[in-house]
Amino acid sequence: MFAYTIKRLLTLIPTLVAASILVFLFIHLIPGDPAAILLGDSATPEDIVALSKELGLDRPLWQQYLLWFRNVLSGNLGNSLFFNTPVLTVIADGAETSILLALLTMSWIVLLGIPIGILSASFKGSWIDQITSGFAMLFASIPTFWLGLYLILIFAVGLGWFPSSGFPSLSDEGGLSNIRYLILPSLTLAAPNAALIIRLIRSSMLDVSREDHVRTARAKGLHPAKVAVKHVFRNALIAVAAAFGFTFAALISEAVVTETVFSLPGIGRLVVQSILRRDYPVIQGVILIIVLLYLFVNLLVDLAYAWLDPRVSLS
Amino acid sequence: MRVLISPLRFILEALRGRKLATIGALWLLLIIVLGIGAPLVAPFDPLEIDPIARLSEPGAPYLFGTDHFGRDTFSRAVYGARMALIIGFGSVVVALLCGGLIGMLSGYFTGLGHILMRVVDVLMAFPALLLALGLMTILERSVMNTIIVIGTVYATTTARILFGMTLKLKNDVFIDAARCTGAGHFSILFKHILPNLLSPILVQATFIFAFAQLQAAALDFLGLGLPPETPSWGNMLAEERIYITRAPWLLIYPGVLIILSVFSMNLLGDALRDRIDPRFKDDIAGV
Repeated sequence: MFAYTIKRLLTLIPTLVAASILVFLFIHLIPGDPAAILLGDSATPEDIVALSKELGLDRPLWQQYLLWFRNVLSGNLGNSLFFNTPVLTVIADGAETSILLALLTMSWIVLLGIPIGILSASFKGSWIDQITSGFAMLFASIPTFWLGLYLILIFAVGLGWFPSSGFPSLSDEGGLSNIRYLILPSLTLAAPNAALIIRLIRSSMLDVSREDHVRTARAKGLHPAKVAVKHVFRNALIAVAAAFGFTFAALISEAVVTETVFSLPGIGRLVVQSILRRDYPVIQGVILIIVLLYLFVNLLVDLAYAWLDPRVSLS
Repeated sequence: MRVLISPLRFILEALRGRKLATIGALWLLLIIVLGIGAPLVAPFDPLEIDPIARLSEPGAPYLFGTDHFGRDTFSRAVYGARMALIIGFGSVVVALLCGGLIGMLSGYFTGLGHILMRVVDVLMAFPALLLALGLMTILERSVMNTIIVIGTVYATTTARILFGMTLKLKNDVFIDAARCTGAGHFSILFKHILPNLLSPILVQATFIFAFAQLQAAALDFLGLGLPPETPSWGNMLAEERIYITRAPWLLIYPGVLIILSVFSMNLLGDALRDRIDPRFKDDIAGV
C-alpha cells in the first residue's frame, strides 16, 4: 500500500506539470498582449511595460512559465481586474459558500442515493426497481438550472418555505440557520448526481450478487438483508468509490450553473461572472485551483480504491 | 460474438421487448422529423416579433403562446429541435472523429499511445463544463464554436474508451490471421478492428448526444453558448427565465422538450448497451 501510494504520487507529477502549462497558456491563447489583457482596459502604457517586465514577456515562453510557476507556488496568482485585489483573496471569499454547498450536496447524495440504490438492486425487476430506476434516469436527464428554477418557483415563491436566492455567511446575522439558503441549491445539485449513484450502486450490486461468495452466503442460510448489505454492498462499494471521482467533477460543473441560478456568492458563479467581465486573472486562478483540487480528489479516490480492494495495489 | 450487423438492425434488435426505450426512439424520430421539416411545420418565423402579442398565453394563433418579444414559442421550439439536432450530431462527429482516431491509434500503436493518452489524461483533469467554459472564453459565441467545444470535451472520454477496446481486440486471433495474410496497419485498423467497434461506438454516440444537449443548454443559460438570437431550447430558457412567474409556460415547453429528448436518448443508449458484446460493457459509462 505504501509503495502504491508513492507510485501514484509520482505519476501525478507529470499530469500536474502539464495541466499547469495549459492553464498558463490560457492567457496567451487570448488574442492580444498578455500584459494588456491582465491589466484590463484602464491600464496606462507605462503599467503595461512594467508588468511585461515583471512577467518577463520579452523572454522565451518556457522562462515565462517558470516565473509564473514560482509566483503560483508562493501564492501569487495576480490581481483581479474587477476587484483590484489579489486573485487568491477573491477566490477565498467564495470558498465558504462553495464548500458548504458541496458538503450539503454530498450528504444528500449519500443519504438518498445509497439506500435507494440498495433497495433497487435488492428488488431487481420488481415495481420498486422499475420506479426507482426510471426516476433515476429521468433526474439524470433534467438540466440542473431548469430544476433549480422550478424549485424556486414552488418552494420559495409559492410556498415560501425557503429563501429564493443569495447566501449570507454563517458568521453573519442568523448564524447556523443561514444554512436554509443552501437547502434548495444543494437539492438541485444533488438530484442528477444522486441519480448517477443510484444507477451505479444498482448495477455494481447486481454484478457482485452473481459471484460465488454471495451464493455461499445465501446457501448457508444468512438473512437476505444481511447478504445484501454485508456481502454484496460492501463489494459494490469499490465501484462506487471509483465513481466518486467523476461525481466530484460533475458536481463542480453543475455548481457553476446552480450557483448562478440561486445567485450564491460562491466560486462557481465567480467563474461565470469573471468570464462575462473578462477578468482573466481570476478565470485563470479558479481553473488552476479547481484542477488541483480535482487531481487531489482523484488521488484520494484511487488510494481508497486500493485500500478497499488490495488486488489493485499488488498488480 | 463477432457478428457484423448493420446499425439499423442493431437498434431494432436492442429495442425488442423494451417498451419505454421504443417510445423514446419514436420520440427522437419525431424530433428528427420536426428538425428537418422545421420551415414547413412552424407556422411563424421564429425571429418575427409581434409587439402587440407579447407574453400571450397558449391558444390560437400562438399554440404555445409568445415570449417577451412577442415571438411564437411553438415556432421557436420547432426550430429549437433543429438546433438540438445540429448541436447533438455535430458534437458526436467531432468527438468521434478526434477522440475515436486518437483512441484507436493509441490502442494499436502502443508506443505512440502512451504519449497521446497522457495528453488525454491531462485534458481529463479539467471538469467538463469548466473546460468548455475556458474554451468559450477564448472563442466567440457561435454554433460552430459550441459544437467544437462540446465535441472536444467528449473527445477525451471517447479516446479513453476506444483505446481500451482497441487494446482488447488487437491481440485477438482474427487480427493475427489478418496480419498473416499480409494486411497492412491501415487495413487492420480500419477494415478489421473498426467494424468490430461500430456497435460500441454507436452506444457511445447516443450518450454523447444526450450529454451534449445538457451541456449546450447549460452554456446557453450562462450566456456563453449559442448567439442570443439563435432559436435553441437552452436560449429560450435563458431569455425567459425572469418571466417564470408571469408566464410559466415559456419555461415548461423548452424544458420538457430537453428532458424528453435527453431521457429518450439515455433509454436508447441503455438498450443498445445491453445488446453489445459483453467484453465492452464495462468500458462505456452512460448516465
